[in-house]
Amino acid sequence: MKKLLFISLLIMLIISIAKAKIDLNTVTLHELKTQLPITEKQAGDIYDYRFYNSFFQSIYQLREIKSIDQKTLNLLKPLVSISHFDEKDESAKRRDDIYYLIERLGSSEGLQEGMSDIWEDYLISPRNINKLAFSDILNFPNTSPLDVAAILNRVAVGDSISSYRDLRKSPGISYYGAKNLQHYVYYKEQPDVRDLYFDYQMKYNDSPYGDTEKEMYLESMIRYAYGSPAIKNKSYWGYFNMESDRASMMNKLRMRYKNQFKAGFIYETPKGSTPIFDSNSKTLFEDGKYYVGYENNLELLGDNFIKVYAGNFRATFGEGLVMENTDSYSPRKTGYGFNKRITGIIGDISRTQEYALRGIALDWKRNNMNAVFFLSSDKKDAVVYDSNENGELDDDDYILGYINMTNRFSNDELGEAETFFNEYAGNQNQVRIAPRLDALQEDIIGSHFEYSPFIGTHIGFTGYEARYDREFVVPEGDELKEILIADDYHFNKWKITDNEITNMYSTISDDYGDRDYRRVVGFDWRTVLNNTSIQGEYAELEKDGSLGKIGDDPSALLISSYTQYDNLYLLTIYRDYDLDFDNPYHRSFSESERYDDTVFEKLTYGLNNTLLNDMYNNSAQPSAEKGVYFETRYQFHTMLTLTKAYLDIWERKSDARRGVRAEVKLEFKPIHQLRFRIRHKHQVKRYDDEMERGKSQADETELKFITYLSNYDKLQLGYIYARVLQPPYLSILSNPAEPGAADMAQAQTLTDGDMIYLDYTHNFNKNLKVIGAFAMWYANGASFWDFEDIELDFDHSDRGFKTWLNIHSRIANNVYLSLKYKYKQFLTRELEFRDYNEIPEEGEYYFQRVEREENIVRLQLDWKF
Amino acid sequence: MKRAFFIITLITIISGLYSYSILEKETGNFIGNLDPHSTAMGSAVGAGGFRLLDSMVNPANLTSLENGFGFQGTGGFLIDSDNRSLPMYNSFDAYSGDAVYASNVNTFADFAGGIYYKRAISDFELAASLQYRPQVSFKANYFEQVRNNWNSNDNGYPLKIAQNSIESKGGINAFAYQTAFKYKNIGSLGLEVAQLTGDSEMESSVIWTPEAQDIMNDTLNDTINTLEREFSGFRFKVGMNFHLSPRFDLSLSIAPDMKLDVTGDKDGVDVETAVFVYTKFDSMGTALDSLTYAQYIFPMNARIGFSYKPRNIMRTVMNCDVEYIKWSDTNPLYEDAINCFIGVEHILKNSIPFRFGFNYTTSYGLHEDSGFVFVNEITTPTFTAGTGFTFLEKFTFDISLEYSNRQYETLDLFMDNYYWRDGEYEDLWNLHYDENGNIDSPIIQDRGWENPDTVNETFINLKSAISFTW
Repeated sequence: MKKLLFISLLIMLIISIAKAKIDLNTVTLHELKTQLPITEKQAGDIYDYRFYNSFFQSIYQLREIKSIDQKTLNLLKPLVSISHFDEKDESAKRRDDIYYLIERLGSSEGLQEGMSDIWEDYLISPRNINKLAFSDILNFPNTSPLDVAAILNRVAVGDSISSYRDLRKSPGISYYGAKNLQHYVYYKEQPDVRDLYFDYQMKYNDSPYGDTEKEMYLESMIRYAYGSPAIKNKSYWGYFNMESDRASMMNKLRMRYKNQFKAGFIYETPKGSTPIFDSNSKTLFEDGKYYVGYENNLELLGDNFIKVYAGNFRATFGEGLVMENTDSYSPRKTGYGFNKRITGIIGDISRTQEYALRGIALDWKRNNMNAVFFLSSDKKDAVVYDSNENGELDDDDYILGYINMTNRFSNDELGEAETFFNEYAGNQNQVRIAPRLDALQEDIIGSHFEYSPFIGTHIGFTGYEARYDREFVVPEGDELKEILIADDYHFNKWKITDNEITNMYSTISDDYGDRDYRRVVGFDWRTVLNNTSIQGEYAELEKDGSLGKIGDDPSALLISSYTQYDNLYLLTIYRDYDLDFDNPYHRSFSESERYDDTVFEKLTYGLNNTLLNDMYNNSAQPSAEKGVYFETRYQFHTMLTLTKAYLDIWERKSDARRGVRAEVKLEFKPIHQLRFRIRHKHQVKRYDDEMERGKSQADETELKFITYLSNYDKLQLGYIYARVLQPPYLSILSNPAEPGAADMAQAQTLTDGDMIYLDYTHNFNKNLKVIGAFAMWYANGASFWDFEDIELDFDHSDRGFKTWLNIHSRIANNVYLSLKYKYKQFLTRELEFRDYNEIPEEGEYYFQRVEREENIVRLQLDWKF
Repeated sequence: MKRAFFIITLITIISGLYSYSILEKETGNFIGNLDPHSTAMGSAVGAGGFRLLDSMVNPANLTSLENGFGFQGTGGFLIDSDNRSLPMYNSFDAYSGDAVYASNVNTFADFAGGIYYKRAISDFELAASLQYRPQVSFKANYFEQVRNNWNSNDNGYPLKIAQNSIESKGGINAFAYQTAFKYKNIGSLGLEVAQLTGDSEMESSVIWTPEAQDIMNDTLNDTINTLEREFSGFRFKVGMNFHLSPRFDLSLSIAPDMKLDVTGDKDGVDVETAVFVYTKFDSMGTALDSLTYAQYIFPMNARIGFSYKPRNIMRTVMNCDVEYIKWSDTNPLYEDAINCFIGVEHILKNSIPFRFGFNYTTSYGLHEDSGFVFVNEITTPTFTAGTGFTFLEKFTFDISLEYSNRQYETLDLFMDNYYWRDGEYEDLWNLHYDENGNIDSPIIQDRGWENPDTVNETFINLKSAISFTW
């Protein structure tokens, strides 16, 4: 008893002594000045440190204050105390904890196109893992159907997952699946986070036009008017003075109340367009994108989960065969890992413009059923040609197809430019086909219905009908060539691959008469068997067949299986898309985009209107192809991992060209701080015919050395060697460019080039990171993709180098700023071409400085409040 | 001038004068900010100025200085690289890129300084300062040579035909008096009255070479155009800062448009009557209105900004300004512009600041061709960084680096036909003839807007300053 009394007294004494001490985390400025033996300046500095730097975690932090020396610290030690104190709210704290994940999402935003916003919302306001539906969990990044089935199988038997450790114990879940999921969900109690959130993002980017796009704009529009003067404005580039085009700017604002009410607005002015300052409220809403949405569980005759969106929305179902409305194309979009698609309905304030849906969408989940209905009404840009041959491109003319324009010149501007070109061009070369803004009214009604008889298995049906106010007509035979190609001299460039153009969808046909719509229907399914998931989708575009009958219309099929072990996965995808399956909202797996290798890509210089090159440049639809794709990852050992290996063997439908592409990435990690990576890519096109002159082969090997230094600093050194064996270019080696017309021996052309790069990441602390990089290359005709921190860059041309610096600053817990500056310089091959073309005739030219310089600034500001 | 294969031009000039681009040789280059501390932060200094010369942007910034007497002296060193290129065409006569025909590199130095005194009286803090600083710079240099494509004189053609240059000197300096007061910790108000005086001299010349004179028997007359002006006037600026919270300050500054008194002559004609540019035409193309060289106006300028000081493990300040410039005040052909500025300062370990920022600004280029006037709107993005340190307790040294690049189209500075004179000077050229005896090349004619020059300019500006508070 005495002992207890003594301890109690001792505790009281300690408390009383402690109470007498001044708590540095709560003391006022006045108390600091009056109750401690320090100068007024020192008191102010301590107060400022707490206010502007950090709360005190340790008394030794006082030494970080310039005016506090060791002597003062020793003096203060017995007089002050440090209480645990943090003013941040739970949301801010959570954001602090998962900042690295948010940063990672931001860095891959270009690939995910709008999805990172959704994922970030769930990082901040996680969802209850025990109450999620199959598709909800599958929509989180890097989760596989097998991971989802493993979770739901537990929940279905009344078990509930109580922690991350518990989640890891779910039979069948993969290590990566659980690890990736952990921050997006909660288990028992919802984190005490705020309800209302706003996110503002601004991006300024003055990157130049891509080389392909620039070449398109540079091509002369009056090249066949021989003898016309050499003037700069014979091309769109010169006519519109695109050299001086403004940088692109994007402003995005999102609002969210819990995970229930959501709204967003984006206004992007792409490169060359009018800045936001010059917009009025009408154009803001016409050219901007916005949505309001509501998502919630409703107890109405049982559990219902409802999503309603008005404004712009994304609709994605199955494997993207029927509907996935995005402008961006990404090759080999498997639907797994980093190539995931979020299925269902979400609000859309991505940069997608042409294939944006605007209207209303309803997504209703109940027990094992899911129904989605959506309506959209929007104007679309389209390619219009002078079908009534009245010499004008007017509203009565037919439409060839949708087009996603690199620069959306206004219709007036385009018309004026065409008139200018026509003045020079002569009768036979008048502009008779051109893109037009908002030329087409598209009204879509669509739905998706899904039934899941048991966990991991579902069958779904998707369909939509798009009604148009104008006719899509693809002329037949030579008429199509005459419209597309400027001069009959180039008619022989029309190849069998151009079948992709002749097989575009028409609303008028001899087979089915005149209609004003396009209908696409399909069904998808998935089933999980042990550690394997099998899924797929089949779709048909209604042409002359019956809507309810399978096999009588152009179709597309994709079947995939995914098998998962602890250190291994195997993915197999089989796809078969008909050539005439022309669904503008088709975004499933493929090697290349539609119109690859057609005149839209290869004959820009010979097209009636060079802007048609955008049909290929910005094509979002997959090419018609049939093939099988294998992908795997295997960790041999903690030190050695096959990070990714894939093999794709496919046949292009338009010309039956067969191709094979394989890539292997291996990582050797002798110690955690050291990594050696090797990557090799091999691709052969037309591998099946050794004698075919169109055969080409490309190999690329990359060696990379990475070392992690202290404080997460990173040094990376890499080398890429590329080698391309391609057919001879008859048009360069001999004239005329016709088969059999060669007047000299032909041989395969081998180009090889290499690139070396170095980059260094320095973390001053967790709030400030600077990345600097340097790369130089001698491409010699080859080309390289280079991943620059948060974006991809394409380097080719002859010789060149670039250097860039990126500063990532976390201004405050909720304000982020990233500023990148890049300088790039490369020689163009213009001199060689001029030499080849004997310009100037005497062979004397003085313009040695024909290199191109690029100065690029990219600024991004994020404010989350 | 410059036709692809008969002219080669130079080169590199190093001059010791403060200078800008010849794009602004008549209108001058408005100097927005001279303090390296805020320059490093993208010149976003409306609400976050802690150096004396930051009051140039917003006079209310004076009250952010420490009490007592102080001064600041600043010096700038700038490199302007100007590459002019002409369009190249492929075998289809289609434009395919540009080739540089003339490169100029100019370096410059400039200085400004000021003193201030500030003290607290009751709930007020009062401050006043005097500054002497450049406000507009007219200094610019350009040099090019007109050459034949022949490599010797043996064939009778002059290797070098003429030498073209533009030399522009002078500037408008401000002797500014500023005063500001701050009430409690609520806000501050500042006023600047600046007396502006200065002069400018520009000479644009084409000097024939002795070799060319020899060929033409000394009949060639050099051309020298001059413009000389003197400027005087006043400018006012009002600025306000609102201390909304310990973390957030808001600022607003406004300078009304101000017309300066200008005297001088353009090629011997009084600037009052010498037309600088025609600004209005009727439907027949007859000029109705014009600006003379005497009409020199500072445009109305309004700037709103904020300064944010969050809690950060590194002491951090983020400033952001948006500036509206009513360019239409100076010339009805111009459109008003909005400039943006953003900057950050992090205090790293050992109290070393790391500052960086970005801004983009809009300027205009004017070109006249065959009686028509063209206006080029040119945006210039600028990347900035800098640091500083304190020494001898009361002294502060700041240094900043700005990097800007801009690209725009413009007309040839010296038109080609001048050296051909419709064939009158054909003896100067090494001509080629086709089978019919007609001149095949070179074809020497003026390049209008069908074939404009492309100018790529890079500015690297290093500024440093010493500040002192007693």
